Amino acid sequence: MTIRRSTAIATALAAAMLAAGAPANAQTKVYHVGLLSPGPPGLGLLGPELIQDFVRRGYVPDKTIVFEPKAAQGKIGQLPALVDELVAGHVDVIITSSYPAAIAAKEHAGSIPIVVAQSGDPVATHLVDSLAKPGGNITGVSEIAAELSGKRLQLLKEAVPAIHSVAVLWNADDLGMTLRYRAAEEIAPKLGMVIVPLGVHAPDDFDMAFSEMTKSPPDAILMVTDVLTNLNRKRVIEFAASHHMPTMFEYDSLAHDGGLMAYGPNVSDIYDRAAGLADRILHGAKPADLPLELPTRFQFAVNLKTAKALGITISESTQLRADDVIE
Amino acid sequence: MSAEPSAAYARPRRPLFRKYFLALFVAVVVPLLASGASEAWFGYRDEQANISQRLRTEAAAAAGKIQAFLDNIRDQLEWTVQLPWSEGSDERHRYDVLRLLRQVPAIVEIVLVDGKDIERLHASRTDPDIVNSGIDHADDPAYLGARASGIWYGPVTLHKGSEPYMTMAVAGSREIAGVTIATINLKLIWDVITAIHVGKAGDAFALDREGHLVAHPDISLLLRGDDDAAVAALRRLQQASVASGNEAVTGEDAEHRTVLAAMARIAGPGWTAFVEQPREEALAPLRQALWRTGVLVLLGTLFAAILALLLARRMSGPIRLLEQGAARIGAGQFDHPIRITTGDELERLAARFNQMAGELALSQERSERIARLKRFLSPQVAELVEQAGQDDLLDGHRAEVVVLFCDLRGFTAFSAVAAPEEIMGVLGDYYEALGAIIVRYEATLTSFSGDGLMLLLNAPVRCPDNPAERAVRMAVDMQTAVQALIVGWRRRGHQVGFGVGLARGEATVGRIGYEGRLDYTAIGSVTNLASRLCAAAEDRQILIDEVAAASVCGTIALEPLGTRLLKGFDEAVPVFAVGNKITAGNEEGLSATAQE
Repeated sequence: MTIRRSTAIATALAAAMLAAGAPANAQTKVYHVGLLSPGPPGLGLLGPELIQDFVRRGYVPDKTIVFEPKAAQGKIGQLPALVDELVAGHVDVIITSSYPAAIAAKEHAGSIPIVVAQSGDPVATHLVDSLAKPGGNITGVSEIAAELSGKRLQLLKEAVPAIHSVAVLWNADDLGMTLRYRAAEEIAPKLGMVIVPLGVHAPDDFDMAFSEMTKSPPDAILMVTDVLTNLNRKRVIEFAASHHMPTMFEYDSLAHDGGLMAYGPNVSDIYDRAAGLADRILHGAKPADLPLELPTRFQFAVNLKTAKALGITISESTQLRADDVIE
Repeated sequence: MSAEPSAAYARPRRPLFRKYFLALFVAVVVPLLASGASEAWFGYRDEQANISQRLRTEAAAAAGKIQAFLDNIRDQLEWTVQLPWSEGSDERHRYDVLRLLRQVPAIVEIVLVDGKDIERLHASRTDPDIVNSGIDHADDPAYLGARASGIWYGPVTLHKGSEPYMTMAVAGSREIAGVTIATINLKLIWDVITAIHVGKAGDAFALDREGHLVAHPDISLLLRGDDDAAVAALRRLQQASVASGNEAVTGEDAEHRTVLAAMARIAGPGWTAFVEQPREEALAPLRQALWRTGVLVLLGTLFAAILALLLARRMSGPIRLLEQGAARIGAGQFDHPIRITTGDELERLAARFNQMAGELALSQERSERIARLKRFLSPQVAELVEQAGQDDLLDGHRAEVVVLFCDLRGFTAFSAVAAPEEIMGVLGDYYEALGAIIVRYEATLTSFSGDGLMLLLNAPVRCPDNPAERAVRMAVDMQTAVQALIVGWRRRGHQVGFGVGLARGEATVGRIGYEGRLDYTAIGSVTNLASRLCAAAEDRQILIDEVAAASVCGTIALEPLGTRLLKGFDEAVPVFAVGNKITAGNEEGLSATAQE
């Protein structure tokens, strides 16, 4: 299906390209794409998946397209400088992951088109005016992740009805992530739950959070996933396992890593759509004319091995919901 | 020669070649163009109808695919309204919904309403599920619509002002099974719509009842909201299509391409599916056909031109040959026959020309010969010689002839004193008078010099009667005519007279002279004798020899003058003078002679 879809995209793009009067040999031009992530190199946005999304659209890495990955390695303060490097390198488009990267690009990239991904709700964070008409030089894939916080709490409760208090771990420096925390905080009372906020700013903060949770153990942990928390996922999973706490993550990969559950948009889809939008921009489309896209497919993963280790029984309905049951 | 006729011969005002060429060319090209044009026109109409038909078929197929997408969701939703709501059925219903959410990604939200209009379950992909909210759906149009007709399609709404969503409600066959109301994310039709290709660059899209874009290969278009210019272009296509009665229409699409578009209704939700194809591409077969026809017509025209050229040349070529031939004949060149082997009337005409040229050549040759003969023969004799075609008449041979000499007496003295005009005037009158007589008697003039003449009779053509008698009568007539002139000359003081001598006998006759100047003459003593007799004759006297006298004895009165010694003759020769008793016709001349 993906191949068919990409062919269709290529066709549509070819048509759009011709309509825009672009030269027929546009493919011979070498495009420069800046990739900006606050995390480590080679992961997520900077991983091989996004490059494959471009290859499927007919690009040949290092021949027709050159990627310039910039990784802040967790040091968010370096992001503006990395953007400046991309500007100096005259990239044609910048793809960002996370809100801090998006806002750094918005503030430092001038008129270079920006495609944002995994940066929360860009309307709520004022990155763009609206989904349908982003206005400036930013488009991308929006997230309904903030809304999904409530859904995650409900799924936790459905799986383990005894859960009452949930500790939320999130990167307090990322506005997009903070909005997700707030959404959880807001909806918890309706579900008869209480939230224990555990905002972190740096890897060292996790120890503080762990000691906090050791002091007054919550019934479960909800980890808002961004680069910072993701880098420390192993510690969180280990802590939860040793303290018999059910965990809820946002992306199915973390359920595979040992988390109990994960619910969120399909990350591959997000990268594919981001690549699609960047492709349109490389072929002459203006970001202002490209509405932000919302994720359409969601993935619910349940790790029964973890459940067994925790000594809990996952309800039948939860198993029925799961797109991905890890046994 | 003046310039006008030569110009007329050099270049005709309207040459035959051009006329034939144009006529033949037009005769072939006009029907060719007419057939080419009609073929192009009908081909154009047929092809347009074909294209329209093809696009409509494609539109119907696209509508079918979108309907199938919706039908699939409906079929899935129907599973949730199989089970009647009863005590303890809640869990089963919930499981149905969870399974459905997993199987149909297009469903973002689903609401189950029981047979008593009460909402029992609200499940969502993004929000926490709500069980038994107790909301009454009695006034919900979705609920009422599904109840009324089993299935209800709601209007398209824009989620967060961007993503097109549609509500769809399905009712169970039994009221107690309730109604399922589902919210569908129409972005998922994308998989269906992008799979539809019309030709190379053509695609499909769909608009709902209100003109919202519900499906388009360009997902960005779908998300731009309602007030987008590109979507407005698609709406204009819809209006044009409706106005044309569902025929394929030409218009501009969302990407500003000029396209041919056709539409088909999607019955369930009342949407319209469109297929569009760039006009360039759709009309390519048409253009190709027109191009082909054009090339064929061009080739035909070229062929017609060559054919017309060849035919015109075949027609006008022989005519020009005939013209050249006629010009040569006009110029007197008869030895160049016109060669035309077309096997038609023109060849016959050429043959006639050649025949005519041959006859003209003969005729000219003959008239030239006559002109030549006339120099020394009287016209009648010349004609005779010519008609007989016997050139050998003029060849040298011996013949019995009568030779006659005459000259003016005292002319030498006169010419010594008289003015040249006077001399030429006298000679002019003299020869005019004699010439008429010579012609009348068909005598042969062999030579003249000054005032003297030598005439022959019985050569080269034999006289039908007695040549001597004829000669004497001619001599008498000559004397009479010249004496009449002498009266006038004397009155002007010119003392001249006129004497004639003739003799009969054998002589050698024939042509003498050289190429270009040939005379006919008689050689022999008879010539000498006649000459001497002339010299001996006095004014008004005609002297004849013995042989001639014997020939005319009894018909013409003669006066024997006895014998005379003549220069060149050893013996005296008997001489006779023509007397006055000849015939009544010559009375005047004879009496004049008698007076001497």
